[in-house]
Amino acid sequence: MNPWVRICVALYRRLARAFPHEFRMIYGEDMERLGEDAAPEIFHRHGFLGLVRLLADIAVRLPAEYLSELRQDAVYAVRRLNKQRGFAAVGVISLALAVGICIVFFAQVKGMMFRSLPGARDSEALAGTQRAISYPLFERFRQQGNVTASATAFIGPVPFGIAVDEATSKAERVFGHLVSPEYFETLGVTPRAGRFFRAEIEKPGSDPVVVISERFWRAHLHADAGAVGRTLRVNGHQAQIIGIGPEGFLGVYPINPADIFVPVTAEPSVAPELSQDILRNRELARFRVVLRLGEGVTLPEAEAALDIVARNFELEKPDPHRDQKGRQVRLVSAGGMMPLSAEQRTMLFGVNGFLLGTILLLACANLATLLLARTHERQKETAIRLAAGASRFRLVRGLVTESVILSLAGSLLGLVFAVWLLDVSRSLALAGQSAQMVQPDYSIDLWTLLFALGVAVLAGLGFGLAPALAAVRVDLVPALKEGAVTSLRAYRRFGLRNQFVVFQVASALTMLLVSGYVVIGYQKSTGFDPGFDASDMYLFSLDPARDGYSATESAALLERLPQRLLDLPRVQAISLVERPPFGDPVIQTNTRVSVGKEENGGEEVVHSIAKLRAGAGYFAALRVPLVDGREFTDRDQRLESASSQSPRTEIPVVLNETAARQIFGAGNPLDRRIREEKETYFVIGVVKDVKFAFMAAKPAATIFLPLTAENFNRGSALGTTVVLRGSGPDIMAEVRREMGVTDPRLTILSARTMGEQLRQFDSLIRWTTVMNGSLGVFSLILAAIGLAGVTAHTVLRRRKEIGIRIALGARRGQVLRLVLKEGAALVVVGSALGFAGAYGLTRAFSAYTAELAQIFDTGTGDPMLLIGAPLLLAGLTFLACYFPARRSTRIDPVAALRE
Amino acid sequence: MAKSDAAAFLPLKANWFHVLLSLAGQEQHGYGIMQEVLERTDGKVRLWPATLYGSLKRLIEEGLIAESEERPAAELDDARRRYYKLTRLGREVLDLESERLEELVRVIHRKREQEAYE
Repeated sequence: MNPWVRICVALYRRLARAFPHEFRMIYGEDMERLGEDAAPEIFHRHGFLGLVRLLADIAVRLPAEYLSELRQDAVYAVRRLNKQRGFAAVGVISLALAVGICIVFFAQVKGMMFRSLPGARDSEALAGTQRAISYPLFERFRQQGNVTASATAFIGPVPFGIAVDEATSKAERVFGHLVSPEYFETLGVTPRAGRFFRAEIEKPGSDPVVVISERFWRAHLHADAGAVGRTLRVNGHQAQIIGIGPEGFLGVYPINPADIFVPVTAEPSVAPELSQDILRNRELARFRVVLRLGEGVTLPEAEAALDIVARNFELEKPDPHRDQKGRQVRLVSAGGMMPLSAEQRTMLFGVNGFLLGTILLLACANLATLLLARTHERQKETAIRLAAGASRFRLVRGLVTESVILSLAGSLLGLVFAVWLLDVSRSLALAGQSAQMVQPDYSIDLWTLLFALGVAVLAGLGFGLAPALAAVRVDLVPALKEGAVTSLRAYRRFGLRNQFVVFQVASALTMLLVSGYVVIGYQKSTGFDPGFDASDMYLFSLDPARDGYSATESAALLERLPQRLLDLPRVQAISLVERPPFGDPVIQTNTRVSVGKEENGGEEVVHSIAKLRAGAGYFAALRVPLVDGREFTDRDQRLESASSQSPRTEIPVVLNETAARQIFGAGNPLDRRIREEKETYFVIGVVKDVKFAFMAAKPAATIFLPLTAENFNRGSALGTTVVLRGSGPDIMAEVRREMGVTDPRLTILSARTMGEQLRQFDSLIRWTTVMNGSLGVFSLILAAIGLAGVTAHTVLRRRKEIGIRIALGARRGQVLRLVLKEGAALVVVGSALGFAGAYGLTRAFSAYTAELAQIFDTGTGDPMLLIGAPLLLAGLTFLACYFPARRSTRIDPVAALRE
Repeated sequence: MAKSDAAAFLPLKANWFHVLLSLAGQEQHGYGIMQEVLERTDGKVRLWPATLYGSLKRLIEEGLIAESEERPAAELDDARRRYYKLTRLGREVLDLESERLEELVRVIHRKREQEAYE
């Protein structure tokens, strides 16, 4: 034989043997022989190309044959699922829930963490410093042309008081960035209209200019085509709009979006952040730096190079005690929504991914138990097909196809569920912090779809494979006999599956109970006791510097404002404070203070403590009782502003009880000295503990410093809060009228009652509880599915016994009871553990915060919950057990006995 | 069997038509079918082995042919090979397809004559 023919025949034979089992059983031998017989003749007639054609023909048919089998499997699987609609529905719904949650997570992670900076070019090449640095150091960085293509420094987000129309409009608070001229160039952003900053034009002393975002242009300037060249009032100063950013661009790190961009070369009067000669001050590390890495430079290389620059810079300082250990400069990727180091990314993704993977795994495991019981029912069918010559592989594939189809349907539904969930969370985000937050891009795109598909296939394989493998491991001979039950594993009371179900019931119940306690307890106790009298209290914020007040003007305002408002007939008390009570829980200043050697017998003890600046009469206005000493007066307010020239002057402070106890123990704290860095304080008073944040651990040790004119002028991002006590619904209108007369330039920010402020917390808590509650319900559903699987298994295992009982005259109810008993045992054990867990958790939480203790006290005794939760559980589990158990009553005693 | 059942297969795939045509005269095994098609078309049409068996499988699934129980005379029989025969449906489909093709040919002829006349 020609060697070509011989090779061709060998290859042909190999390919022919790779055909699906069923095909080979019928046509394999014929096809193989036909090829062998025809090959010499084909070679003779068509030559070498003929042999190639012969091989190509069989090579093409091979996958086609497999595909046609797959189609058959799919058709068969759909037909079978259609017959077991109940089971299919349970599978699809529980998977839809799990997959939906996974998709939501994926979309959020993608939208927040892996989204590149909108509007920027080549955002992967952007890197940012993790810590803020001084401007002189940034200028050194900027010169490192070997590692950076360009670099920029900015301060932000910074609030600006912006008035669009000179004559009519009041200033609005808009957040923006104070940027070095290279900002837009470094980010690779091109203007939608006008120009951006240029280093050669933006110099100190040049005309004030501003760049606005496209969003601002639309919202505030009504997309005016002639916006470039118009002027805005920025913090009370005129500034010309020179450019509009591209669509979607909201500054670097847009998780805190910026709508206004002001060059750092602007006058400090325009932005108080620029005071203290900040561009030349080497001590004030206020700037965040973003740099574009040079061609081929990696992040670690740039980090190493800049680290050396930073070290050299430090060495030039006269202070020899500088801490020089470790890296001075850390770079993170700046091309996303927020600065995230590689480790943080992995952490965030890993932890959450693990949690969601577990949910998915639970759902899959439960379905697997259910499916396992079903495959045993189909044992006979399987045995017949095996006996007739079907390959085990083919059978497994058929069963797995069924579960993959199920999970595909589940994923599809999950996708719908996810879209709905994202919609809800988007509207919630909108309602919550409309102006502040950037709109996260939680859209479902191709990647999300691929992800859903991947999850579906994985899940389908995950819960389908094990039962399928178990199904084909049947003993043919007994299985083919009438109604046989073969090789079912014996019941194990403490088997893994039972433990698993008990665990699920317990954790679901714990979660439900705890959230139920919180919801009910909270509704009953109509909020919580803040520790001070919150009725008749009003809050509003002021930020004089951003309304264009000079330092002297705002100092004067601080002097006269409280008295002017107190003169109003219905205002009873007034004070100023740095942050409102029950404000943003994230913003909290902590500091470290120490009690010096002379105070504590030679040893210097350091305490970590919260710090808050309060104005004169603050505690009186809140009606927080003084325990000892006195509180701040107008004199204290003036004191520090005078002392800023000579920092060694001692500053009066007030401690709360916790702080006094923590620092001075049982001793008298009055007139004792406390040090914080270079400052020395002396204690003038002690006040009762007050909670300033909900859910915080027991009242935090707090040190109160007097609010001075300087603090008032500089202001935090939220401005300075005025706390007012008075009666009457229209008191704020009076206040507005009065202030409109005395200070027409001043903007009143976020006026609200204390009750409204507290209710904001309510909604936060309610949201958390609803989330936990729905998680509890979800896990309860999962537990129910697990239970159903176990019960179905029980029915199978005891088939013969049940048949005998029925034959001996057992009634339907008796049989049902028999089967339900096992499920009930699991539920009882699980519930007992669940109640114990809920009790333990409430105890733990109660010990942690007083508010929760109070809530749990009212919540745990609630009859609705005490009776309702077990009833719900009992009902659900009974249903879960009942449907599989009902099968037991349909067992044909004759068939069962013949086994 | 209803006529519409058979009509549903029209127009018939070329491969299927050749297979059915080969089985119209006598029962055949795969090799025989291949050879016959080759001879009938003067070597122009070759049913390659895998394609042939793929078609046979589909034809059996569709009920147009069936495996034959009867074997030819002993000296001609190759016991290891499967023989195939037309079913009634298969014959109907073949007839219908033949009619369709004849009709087509007739149309073509008429067209030619017209052209020649003009």
